Amino acid sequence: MTVCTFAFVFGVLTVATFFFRLPVGLRRWVFTLGSAAFVSLLVPNRASWVALGAFLVSGWATAHVVSRRRSGFVLAGYLAALLVVFVVLKKYAFLQFFVPRQILDHPIGIVGLSFMLFRQIHFVVDAAEGQIEPVPSLWIYLNYQLNLFTLLSGPIQRFNDFRAWWDNPVPLHQDRHDLFKAIWRVLTGVLLIAVVGSLFQKMSDRALTDFALVRPKDYLRIPIIFYTFPAYVFFNFAGYCEIVIGAASLFGLKLPENFNRPFFARNMIDYWMRWHITLSIWIRDYVFTPLFTALVRRRRESAQSFAMLCYFVALFLAGVWHGASLNFIVFGLLNGVGVAAAKLWETRILKSGGRAGLRSYLQSRRVRSVAMVANFHFACLTMMFFTPNLALAALAHLHGR
Amino acid sequence: MMPYSEELQGVFREVFDDDGIVLRPDMTAADFDGWDSLQHVTLMIAIETRFNVRFATAEISKLKNDGSTIGTMLEILGAKLGHP
Repeated sequence: MTVCTFAFVFGVLTVATFFFRLPVGLRRWVFTLGSAAFVSLLVPNRASWVALGAFLVSGWATAHVVSRRRSGFVLAGYLAALLVVFVVLKKYAFLQFFVPRQILDHPIGIVGLSFMLFRQIHFVVDAAEGQIEPVPSLWIYLNYQLNLFTLLSGPIQRFNDFRAWWDNPVPLHQDRHDLFKAIWRVLTGVLLIAVVGSLFQKMSDRALTDFALVRPKDYLRIPIIFYTFPAYVFFNFAGYCEIVIGAASLFGLKLPENFNRPFFARNMIDYWMRWHITLSIWIRDYVFTPLFTALVRRRRESAQSFAMLCYFVALFLAGVWHGASLNFIVFGLLNGVGVAAAKLWETRILKSGGRAGLRSYLQSRRVRSVAMVANFHFACLTMMFFTPNLALAALAHLHGR
Repeated sequence: MMPYSEELQGVFREVFDDDGIVLRPDMTAADFDGWDSLQHVTLMIAIETRFNVRFATAEISKLKNDGSTIGTMLEILGAKLGHP
């Protein structure tokens, strides 16, 4: 079950027509039933149900413990254990060197587990820091985690934003115009995935197959792959976000935006604040900031070097999170290099021209245009490592030669 | 402005290396050149050190998000310093 299906779109639009005619308590039940039905279509077996339950209940219980008695040891221990469980459940390839095969052959498959991990880490950390008060009931937490609009691939909504809606699920759209705009947004998402994204996917796949296997000397296929594959990834994910953000709004639930014209970014730092925004902000809040803060508190004079290191580590982890195969490691490394280089460049301008120099650099239209084109191509280059297929095709091509 | 806003202004001037900064409650990150994630964390650490307070992860994040102003920062800081 995906969100770009007739069943999902028709079902959501139908329920939205009567959702706000129900009493508030019943609205929550309808939401819960919708999410439960959606999840039940995605969980393949009993072992997966048990693992899913244990995964989520552990986060809720730990949040209760660390919110009452703030213990860095308990928090760090739990997060480490959670990450170990996560990589085992996801069967990361590198585990074959450390973990017995019987364990890695487990039948557990949980769709959306990666996004549950993000929400769970945020929930536990914020509860420990007193930012989620009071820690909610298990029932509300499960509704937050298994929300059918964010279950598969985000956007990563923060718990307090969800709770504000849960406590008072009222309409978001004030008039028919707003309502139609939301419905149009859902339908636009369907078109982006089913028509535009699909078209770019076919072009990319065909060029890839041709270049790898059929016409290895037809180098014109390379630019086709270079531009169409990133376009496919963008339209597919942006379309998904249009559907879920538009659909959730029909139920009064405002989800955070995930894209803001990423291919118009002037550098890779800017790019990551426009592409998969909720993931970028999550990485900033729960990887970059704690790591950088911890290092700088120890040695403030090395802040600049630590910043490069933290940018690199944060983006590298973001890349590896997408998958454990070698191509994702390269994807992460390239992104890490990209953001670190952008920061170094800015630091250099600041040193040579001061604040005024940086201001005129940032305001120059010519610089912005050149930077946008250059960054667009670098972003496309990183995307070449977003799928194992391209790496395999390159190998097949080299082997064929 | 709050009693500690001048001290906060001093922290801003030091972190952004710009003696011309004059804080107003309605200012946002867009009003400062080069206020990115790194500069934000640097600023937060400088404020923590100057005022002897600690920001939670969610507070640091909130102060960088769209819609957050110097006024928001003053409110959060004020709450930590016991000035309602």
